[in-house]
Amino acid sequence: MMRAVRELWAFFWRDLSIARTYRTVFVIEAVEALFGVAMFYYVARFVDSPQLEHALPEGGSYFAFSLIGFVFLDYLNAAMDAFDRSLEEARDAGVLEHLLVTQTSLPMLLAGSATYPFVVSALRIAVYVAWGAVLFAFPLHDANWAAVFAVLIVTFLAFAGFGILSASFLLLFKRGNPGKWFLLGVSGVTGGMLFPTTILPDWLQVVAKFNPVTYALDAMRAALLGGEGLHSVWRPLLVLLAFAAVLLPISMLAFAWALRRTKTTGTLMHR
Amino acid sequence: MSDHAIQVEALEKFFPPARSGWRAFLQPFEKATVSALAGISFEVQAGEAVALLGANGAGKSTLLRILATLLLPTQGRAQIAGFDTATQPRAVRRQLGYHAGSDLGFYARLTGRENLRFFGRLNHLAPSAVTKRVSELAEQFSLGEALDRQVRTLSSGTVQRLSLARALLHAPRVLLLDEPTRSLDAIAAAEFRRFLKSDVLRAGGTSLLFASHSLQEVELLADRIAVIDAGRLLACHTLDTLRQKTGAASLEEAFLRLTGRKGHLVEEAAE
Repeated sequence: MMRAVRELWAFFWRDLSIARTYRTVFVIEAVEALFGVAMFYYVARFVDSPQLEHALPEGGSYFAFSLIGFVFLDYLNAAMDAFDRSLEEARDAGVLEHLLVTQTSLPMLLAGSATYPFVVSALRIAVYVAWGAVLFAFPLHDANWAAVFAVLIVTFLAFAGFGILSASFLLLFKRGNPGKWFLLGVSGVTGGMLFPTTILPDWLQVVAKFNPVTYALDAMRAALLGGEGLHSVWRPLLVLLAFAAVLLPISMLAFAWALRRTKTTGTLMHR
Repeated sequence: MSDHAIQVEALEKFFPPARSGWRAFLQPFEKATVSALAGISFEVQAGEAVALLGANGAGKSTLLRILATLLLPTQGRAQIAGFDTATQPRAVRRQLGYHAGSDLGFYARLTGRENLRFFGRLNHLAPSAVTKRVSELAEQFSLGEALDRQVRTLSSGTVQRLSLARALLHAPRVLLLDEPTRSLDAIAAAEFRRFLKSDVLRAGGTSLLFASHSLQEVELLADRIAVIDAGRLLACHTLDTLRQKTGAASLEEAFLRLTGRKGHLVEEAAE
């Protein structure tokens, strides 16, 4: 157990050390977040009305609703990108085969690759929300932080499977993320990112029920805006855990198979 | 457990033919028809140093990569310390230090020390052991202040020394080195050979299999020399036996006679 923590820490420290050499990126991203928040604030001011607020699941302002939708989609994006981006960077730097001759297991290699992106994307949500709270009265007074943290972890696990599948595709075909555009595109419409799914036609509401993003966003808004605790958000979390329980083992098997295939064809380091 | 540090039995490796354009998409599923190794068998005893000598494309790197668990053999088997490289890769990697013979293989924006620490942790060394080992190897390889500079600022010779240090980091029982002194200057190469011979092989009892184009290096380091040509093992003997069997006065002449290249060289000289 201690060894696993040390290995995860080694991966995290590696990525943090690399990121520190690009210090200006932190500043640029913080400023970018400020502009993003301001944009959502003014769009919300333009479209907000008592009817709209009444239609939102948690009540409250459209600003809070849409900002959570936007930053959370960014978070999901990070969850899906973490694996193939790390793999691609390791391959291009010629590090991949040196990683694969260490004593680290394949699951640890994948988990390690995702540790830093997970922390950074969670922090990015915090920065967006902090800008919103400080400058535009984003309502944080009711937030249940334990539930928010649980939603972040479970959502990352649920979407990591897609990321690992994408990394498997990258190993085989040298370019990754074939399904990301589809998943994010479908989620943009049916996930409840910028509008509640209740306004969709019936058949799209059925699609939304099979979309994990819907559950992730419902749980996040309930915890952050509604102040709901784990006892209230357990149902969407359970759905997300079910996604993770099915998708993670399948994606791990797919990755192991793809790696074995590249070791057979000798294309591990091919770009 | 086997007495042999390395055991290779009837090892064959075929690759799928290289494809370009849209057909490259199907390459992962193509039949392997291009022969790289054609039934190679030999052993390396504990504490023994064996050189792989052959022209470019002879199959030396393919053989080393199979032993390093980075490629899967098509037929036959390879074992490190009694563990099969195809079916027990993690057990194999515990015994193994690998140097790929390339100037790549490090995180360019991390320092040499950060890189070595990272790989030490992935090889399950405790933090204090990593620190101690990095200091020892830095002194051994005269890395000095280069250790605390970003790898992207280092010369290819220094990166190569760093790579050799990485291969030795966890004091492996078996060392696989692909052209270990390729980018080193004459002094650094001589120093490395001395260190390898006296500190690693003689004192440490480590077994070594290395590929090299430097006949001087092969003569100095190898207890036995395996001559490979077009994926076939032509001979694996001590230098004296090799000279005796081929009736040659030098290793160069023995190699040329065994590979049938002597005639080509005479013809080229005549032209």
